[in-house]
Amino acid sequence: MKRRYRITPEGRRQPTDAEIARYRDPKRLLYNYSRAVQRPQKPLYRDPKAFLFLLLIVLLAYLISEERRKPDVPSPAPTEQVPPAPSDG
Amino acid sequence: MTTSEEEHQLILAAKAEPTRFAPLYERYFGDIYRFLLRRALDPDLTADLTQQTFLKAMLGLARYEPRGLPFRAWLYRIALNEVRMHWRKKKEVLIDLSYQEVHGLSEEMGLEMDEHEMQRLATAMGRLDAEKARLIELRYMDGLSFAELGQVLGIGEEAAKMRTHRVLGRLREQLVPRR
Repeated sequence: MKRRYRITPEGRRQPTDAEIARYRDPKRLLYNYSRAVQRPQKPLYRDPKAFLFLLLIVLLAYLISEERRKPDVPSPAPTEQVPPAPSDG
Repeated sequence: MTTSEEEHQLILAAKAEPTRFAPLYERYFGDIYRFLLRRALDPDLTADLTQQTFLKAMLGLARYEPRGLPFRAWLYRIALNEVRMHWRKKKEVLIDLSYQEVHGLSEEMGLEMDEHEMQRLATAMGRLDAEKARLIELRYMDGLSFAELGQVLGIGEEAAKMRTHRVLGRLREQLVPRR
């Protein structure tokens, strides 16, 4: 972004105190502040989308915990290798 | 009670109870509005940026530490960020200055300036990079002290002084041809 300066004898007309006072609005500031800091009014579980998302997370957590709880399937015992009996003849 | 003590009390009160921020808002609204109007030019847009500056100040007040510097400088810092965000989409910005605003600058450079010289100064200032231009604007347009300037830019007072003088030297070099 380029800056350009213009120097004139009067410069830009300065606003008067009365003009500035027109824009002063402490009530609006407080209102905006309270809106910015207040918690969302609707609880998360009442929002259908958020509810489904939470349900999905709970389900996933349940499935993972169930999967981990399953006992390990014992691996088959190694079969003993019996050398073939010598054939007669 | 001195002004700074009074200001400190107001800040403590606002930290404890945000609804008591109003006296600080009343006290500095004009300064911040003028500061932003010099850069945003449009009065309605300036009013919005000013409200946004004070809202951010209220939201961040718990983190504010005075460190012996005026609260105003902290507000200028927030306001400057708001302007930067507004300027991000622009290719060029025009800043209007009066002879009176430039007078301090020319005096510190030790140069007597006629109308023609003023135009040359405007061109030379336009060639400065954003950081250097910001120093000159804050010091000579907004009239900040070096301590305030340091706080706004997040540097020390001495560093602010040194950098400003370096920029002044550079401007002087451009305005006074070497012999």
